[in-house]
Amino acid sequence: MKFFKSIIILIKKDVKTELRTKEIFTSMFLFVFLTLIIFNFAFIGKEINQNLMVGIAWAIFLFASVLGLSRSFIHEKDTGCLEGLMITPTDRSVIYFGKAIGNLFFILIVEAISIPMFSLFFSEESFLRSPLQLFGVLFLGSLGISSVGTLLSAITINTKARELLLPILLFPVIIPVLISVVKLTIYLVTADPFINPNFWMNFLIVYDIIFLLIAFLTFEYVIEE
Amino acid sequence: MGKKPSSPPIIIIRNLNKEFGKKKALIKINLTLKEGDFLTIFGPNGAGKTTLIRIISTIISPTSGEIEINNKKLSQDPLEIRQQIGLVSHNPFLYGDLTAYENLLFYGEMFNLKRVKERADQLLKKVGLSHRKFDLVRTFSRGMLQRLSIARALLHNPSILLLDEPYTGLDPLATQIFDEIINSLKKERCHTFIMTSHDLEKGFLFSNRLAILVDGNLVFETDQKKISPENFKKIYWEKVKGDEIF
Repeated sequence: MKFFKSIIILIKKDVKTELRTKEIFTSMFLFVFLTLIIFNFAFIGKEINQNLMVGIAWAIFLFASVLGLSRSFIHEKDTGCLEGLMITPTDRSVIYFGKAIGNLFFILIVEAISIPMFSLFFSEESFLRSPLQLFGVLFLGSLGISSVGTLLSAITINTKARELLLPILLFPVIIPVLISVVKLTIYLVTADPFINPNFWMNFLIVYDIIFLLIAFLTFEYVIEE
Repeated sequence: MGKKPSSPPIIIIRNLNKEFGKKKALIKINLTLKEGDFLTIFGPNGAGKTTLIRIISTIISPTSGEIEINNKKLSQDPLEIRQQIGLVSHNPFLYGDLTAYENLLFYGEMFNLKRVKERADQLLKKVGLSHRKFDLVRTFSRGMLQRLSIARALLHNPSILLLDEPYTGLDPLATQIFDEIINSLKKERCHTFIMTSHDLEKGFLFSNRLAILVDGNLVFETDQKKISPENFKKIYWEKVKGDEIF
């Protein structure tokens, strides 16, 4: 019980700090907005392939997530608060889950705002045809990005080139998530009969569980330098 | 001093070693502290003082050896030990974008304290920061940060207070205020202190136990009453071989 309570306390603190500074949300949202404008200009007067649009959407979400993930431990590290958290009588994995859930929350908010913008910019309503299923895919995909990204963010936080190193480490590991969410989203948008949604959904769930378990077991050693 | 002649050991450090790759940061450290002791560990930069404090406070693990605090082994019961330890470092461990009060409430909740608001108010008054309770911590001076850091460390009423070079960056007035807080804590006689410092005079005045750490080795350890300040300074310089420039 104390484990979950501590996670909630940590998330509340991060949300409160973010509401004051708006550092993570602003950078993520602006990145998505500006990238959409650029793609909008690039595709003016051209018919857009829906598969391509889905790929673009997830690439934008991934890059935006990296912006948020790279900031997630910086406050703690720069002010020494990571050590402050490490001397509280809670399991070290509380810090991981608090950060990972906080990151998931920020990524989902940015995605929730961006999806209607996608429809607006590309006059494409198919994104919103099955909102519940789409939310499920967004949730599981973002959970995968957040679970791996938070662990790698903690690993890179002690390095000098941490903001460069995070995407270099994250992108290869996150490829299975990206393939799964793109396949599932294409299925939701186009109902492509060659895509087996159950397989990709199960694949995504197993990936998320494996990485959450790996992080749970290794985080203590990761933050101990 | 608060040392009780018959009080049992509260901290026992046995054969403690810490290696960072090939670098030996701490070599076979043995120490025993009784309740109410105030031990100051002196040593040049890179001697291993902060590493020792980080191991006692459970931030990092030793390579080998054992620490017992109140009969609990650090390797077996780190959560229980964290309940008994407060750490004040040169880094205040405070969130700049939260107010002083919010910082204390956050840490109090992480320590699962009851009546955390009451405790936060009480400690803010104790460190003289009640008037800045609702101000963002990033607007605080270095001295105020260290005072708030003491309040944070005392939230859960720890029996052991670790002070890792707490005077770093403090101006004379802030140092004086910090001294008063430490002295008032000493008078309460319910804390055992381990402080690391470069300031031989201040450390000598505060402590009833003195130790010198050089290159990871505990090269000297004595009761403060058994040595004069002049002799201690002489021994310190002999041990560090004049490496350190104050």
